[in-house]
Amino acid sequence: MPKIEVKNITGKVLKDLSLSVGDKEILALVGPNGAGKTTLLNVMAGLTDYSGEVLFDGVNMDRVPPHRRGVGYLFQDLALFPHMNVAANIAYGLKIRRYAPAVISERVDELMDALHIAKLRDRFPYNLSGGEKQRVAIARAIAPFQKILLLDEPTANLDAQTAKYFRSELSVFLRRLEITTVFVIHDLLGAEEMADRIAIMHKGSIEQVAVPGDILFRPRTRVVSEFIGMPNILNCDECTVLSTGLVEVRSGSMRLVLPYEGTAMSKLAISPHDIYISDSKPPGPALNRYTGTITEIIPLRTVVRVKVLVDGNELLAELSRETFDEMKLTAGSNVHLIVKLRRLRYFEV
Amino acid sequence: MTFKKLSISVSFAVFALYGTLILSLFYYYDGAVFLEALRSSRTLFSIRLSLFTATISTIIAVIVAIPSAYALSRFRFFGRQLIDTMLELPMIVSPVALGAVVLVFFNTPTGTFIQDHGIRFIFTVYGIFLAQFIVTVGIAIRLIKAAMDEIPVRYEEVARTLGASPARAFMTVTLPLCKRGIIASSILTWAKALGEFGATITIAGSMSMKTETIPVAIFMRLASADIEGTVVLVLMLIGIGLGILYGVRLLTGRAVPV
Repeated sequence: MPKIEVKNITGKVLKDLSLSVGDKEILALVGPNGAGKTTLLNVMAGLTDYSGEVLFDGVNMDRVPPHRRGVGYLFQDLALFPHMNVAANIAYGLKIRRYAPAVISERVDELMDALHIAKLRDRFPYNLSGGEKQRVAIARAIAPFQKILLLDEPTANLDAQTAKYFRSELSVFLRRLEITTVFVIHDLLGAEEMADRIAIMHKGSIEQVAVPGDILFRPRTRVVSEFIGMPNILNCDECTVLSTGLVEVRSGSMRLVLPYEGTAMSKLAISPHDIYISDSKPPGPALNRYTGTITEIIPLRTVVRVKVLVDGNELLAELSRETFDEMKLTAGSNVHLIVKLRRLRYFEV
Repeated sequence: MTFKKLSISVSFAVFALYGTLILSLFYYYDGAVFLEALRSSRTLFSIRLSLFTATISTIIAVIVAIPSAYALSRFRFFGRQLIDTMLELPMIVSPVALGAVVLVFFNTPTGTFIQDHGIRFIFTVYGIFLAQFIVTVGIAIRLIKAAMDEIPVRYEEVARTLGASPARAFMTVTLPLCKRGIIASSILTWAKALGEFGATITIAGSMSMKTETIPVAIFMRLASADIEGTVVLVLMLIGIGLGILYGVRLLTGRAVPV
């Protein structure tokens, strides 16, 4: 599978963008709407005009039309051919490239089994659910032995629960195929689950390309920092194993109990969304609950960010404007904090 | 009266208007004359000529219309707006005027050269083909373009990434997806060609047993005050036209776009 290099790409929203994707690597493009993520995929696929260079394994692709680039593309709207059944959709690329009928049949069966859609063989797209369409579209994109796979929001049409399951399944599937993959995703957590590296895009440029841990713990620009929600980074001064898979981390005089194996954790990131604030003491066990004093209030358009001093650490929490107004919080107010463990990220030595 | 009832009433009023006009033909309908006219070699010739020329000119118009409609539907190019506007010509200029334009053209040096060294169009069957083609091709392009506009470009992009050349993507994806639209457009084009009169009589004339299509025959009978004969031919034209359109509507299972 080839290495992808894009050099000094300018076109539509893209501004002198350069990026390199390694052989068999899975790279996520993350960024707000209008950042140019889909345009960049279209540039790689040859579906839009651009200036600059696109190279696959060092071979210039600029004058190679889309049908000769060997790039599989899963579009966000999937666009399954409505006049073909599932098997015909998957076989389309193979037939176009004139593979032998036996090869086509074997490949279609193999992909349908791998993606658990064998029972859908004779169904037409209008008869499929969102998740089923997603699987068929991926099978179709991969079928003609593509060297590169581009996925535009591969879980956009799925509900949150299904999307999470599908992401992990897709991640395993892509790694088994060993296909160089670039995918667009809105959700940083989703990107972390699937990607080897993440590229954060903003206004047609790449802000940072790094492994997921680095994006979170070492955001290189203010844009990246704001996009990932400015997480609270805590130093782990001490990590004590409580039982298998459970540790207590001390950061200053603040103590957190977390699911974690070993004691190598050096830093811990907590998303501001995952710190809940209450003006009265919440019921229940005191695990990962703290009291602190508000030091600063940062009102934004729809949310309010609140800095709270807790046992020597300043934590940033984010709450909706309605909740903030209801609690009538001011700087200097004493508040109770609950740290949820939904999006904790660790950095190891 | 609710808006729904009002709109339905108006549609029935239009139906009643056409229905009354058709029914009025039966005032002069005579079974014996009908059979006699139907059996006459002149009438049979007109029917055969009309069906043949309308079919051939429709085939040519659709063959030309498909790539033109695709270009207008998919690409942004210099002169696109001009071409798009020109397609309205048969709708805004009367067929007689179009026929007159063709006659004038064949009186220019280029036209004379074509007549002398290529095909003779004036007062021949080829003139009927030309008249019907000129009147219908713009409409055919318009109708087929409308059908193609409904097919998202995205399907072709998918086909391209799967290895299909632009032509292959068109043949295997776009064309099958707008097949119904093209069939419906072809039928309407054919119906328009079948009823074409103004340009036909101007270019090909009204020579009995040579260039006399059904509409021309109707005009000739009416000009000689043969009301019964006119009624017979009008009924045939209506019967053929409506029968085909209704058949297509049943065949395609949906309304034929106009």
